[in-house]
Amino acid sequence: MKDIIINSRRQKVELWYLLGAFVVANLFNLWAIFRYDASIKEMYTSFFYVLVFTFFIYVLSVIVRLLMYGVCRLFSRRKAIRQTNL
Amino acid sequence: MKPNETKKENEISRREFLRNLGLAGAGILAATSPWLSTFSEVVNTKKEKCRLGIIGPGSRGQFLMSFISRNPKAEITALADIYEPSLESAAKIAPNAKIYRDHRSLLEDKNVDAVIVATPLHTHHDIVMDAFDAGKHVYCEKTIGYTMQECFDMYNKHRDTGLIFFSGQQRLFDPRYIKAMDLVHKGVFGKVSAVDAFWNRNGDWRRNVPSPELEKFINWRLYKESSRGLMSELGCHQLQVGTWALGKLPDKVMGHGGITYWKDGREVHDNVHCIYGYDTGETITYGSVISNKFYGLEEKIMGNLGTVEPENGKYFFEEIAPAPAFLQMINSWEHALFDEIPFAGTSWAPETANENKGSFILGERPKGDGTSLLTEAFVEAVITGKQPERIAEEGYYASLLCLWGHEAIERGEIMRFPEEYRIDYAPYGTKRQSVIS
Repeated sequence: MKDIIINSRRQKVELWYLLGAFVVANLFNLWAIFRYDASIKEMYTSFFYVLVFTFFIYVLSVIVRLLMYGVCRLFSRRKAIRQTNL
Repeated sequence: MKPNETKKENEISRREFLRNLGLAGAGILAATSPWLSTFSEVVNTKKEKCRLGIIGPGSRGQFLMSFISRNPKAEITALADIYEPSLESAAKIAPNAKIYRDHRSLLEDKNVDAVIVATPLHTHHDIVMDAFDAGKHVYCEKTIGYTMQECFDMYNKHRDTGLIFFSGQQRLFDPRYIKAMDLVHKGVFGKVSAVDAFWNRNGDWRRNVPSPELEKFINWRLYKESSRGLMSELGCHQLQVGTWALGKLPDKVMGHGGITYWKDGREVHDNVHCIYGYDTGETITYGSVISNKFYGLEEKIMGNLGTVEPENGKYFFEEIAPAPAFLQMINSWEHALFDEIPFAGTSWAPETANENKGSFILGERPKGDGTSLLTEAFVEAVITGKQPERIAEEGYYASLLCLWGHEAIERGEIMRFPEEYRIDYAPYGTKRQSVIS
C-alpha cells in the first residue's frame, strides 16, 4: 500500500478549513438564538451540537473539494491526451 | 455544655436527620408538615425505650411490627388478639411479648406504655377509648372510627386525657409527599384547582378463610357491619392528601357506588366515586375500582403551572423548556427538506421537546411509603410525651372525610360538611390560605 503524505502546507490549509467551519457553525447558532428567541447562554450550552455541525460542514467541504479536484483532473487529463494526439 | 449549645447541637442533628431522609431545608418544611417536630429530640432520646402492645397483630399489625421490631427505641412487650393464627405468627416477630386474648387484659399490663390498634374498623372505637381510659398512648390504624360520632368521641378523649394519638396516615411521613406539599404550598405549581385521587386494583379483596363460619371475621372489609368498604380502607389515605394540598376542608360532597363486578355475597361497593366540592370552587375527586388496575394508584394535584403525582414521585410543569435554538433550526431545515417526502417520517426534535417526562420530587425513584417513619415518630412521641402538632387532627379529618363521602354515597344526596363534627382546628389556617392562592 502506498503511503499518503500530508505535507505541512496541506495540514495548515485543512486546519483553516476546520476553523472556518467552526466559525460558520457558531454563526448559525447565533442566528438560531435570535431567530428562536433563546438565551444567549446557548452559545456555550449548545457547544456540543455546534461541534458536531462543525465536523459536518468540514466533511461537506472535503467532499466538495474532492469532487472539484476530480473534475479538474478529468479535464486536464483530456486536454493532455488531445495535445499528445496533435 | 450551655443550654444554648445543647439546643444548637440538637437543631443541627435534627437537620442532619431530615437531610438523611432526603428532606433538605427541614426548617421550612416544618410549616408544611408541622408533625415533623416529633423528631426534634431524636438525639436526646437515644437511650430511651418505648414499650408497645399490639392489639390486633393480623396482616397490617404484623407489617407495623416489622418496622417496630427494628427500632432500637421500641420494644413489643404484649400482643392481644382473638384469632390464634395471628397471635402465633406475630409471636415469631416479637418472641418475648406477653400474649393476651382480650385487649382489656393487655391494657392492664404495666409493661405497656402505648398500644397500636390494628383491628377491624368497627372495633377501633371501644378499644381506643379503653386504651385512653387505661392511660395508654394510642396509634390507631385508619380509618379511626366506624362513624363520624365515634371519630369525634375518640378525638375528644385524646384531647381530654392529653395522651398521644396517632393514626395510620403514613403519607404524612413520606418524604416525597412532604417535599411535594412544600412545593405546592410555595405556589411552585400555581393555583391548585383540583386534586384527582384514585386507587384502582383488579382483585376480589378477599382473604382465605379456613372455615365458612370465619368468613365475616376474616373478610370483615367486605361487610357493612364492620367496614365502610373502599372509602374507609383506601380513600382515607388519599382524601387527606387532597386537604393537605388544598390547605382546607371541603364544604360539600356527593358520591356514587355500586357492586358491579364482584357479586360474591359482599355488601360493600366494588366501585366508588365521590366529588368533594369547595364553596370557593376547588374540587377533590376520589374514585376506586377493584375490577380494573390499569391506572393504579395516584393523587394528581393540579395547579395552573404544573401537576404533582406524589405516588409516582414526580412533578410535571405545564410549560416545558423548548429544545435548544440550534436543534430547532436543524429541525426546520429537516422539515423544509423532507416534509413533502412521505418516507421522511416525523421529526425528532419536537417530539423530544414535547414529551413531558417530568422530574422526580426527591431526584430519584420513590422508596418506601413513610410507614417506617410514622412508627418511629409514634415511638418518639411516646418517649417524649409530646403530641406532635396536627397529627391527630389530620387523622381525624381524613377519617371524617371518608365516612362523610360514604354517607353521601349511601344516601345518594349532596351533603354539606357536618358542622357538629368540626373541631377547633383549620388544617392550614387562613395565613396558609393566602400563601396557596
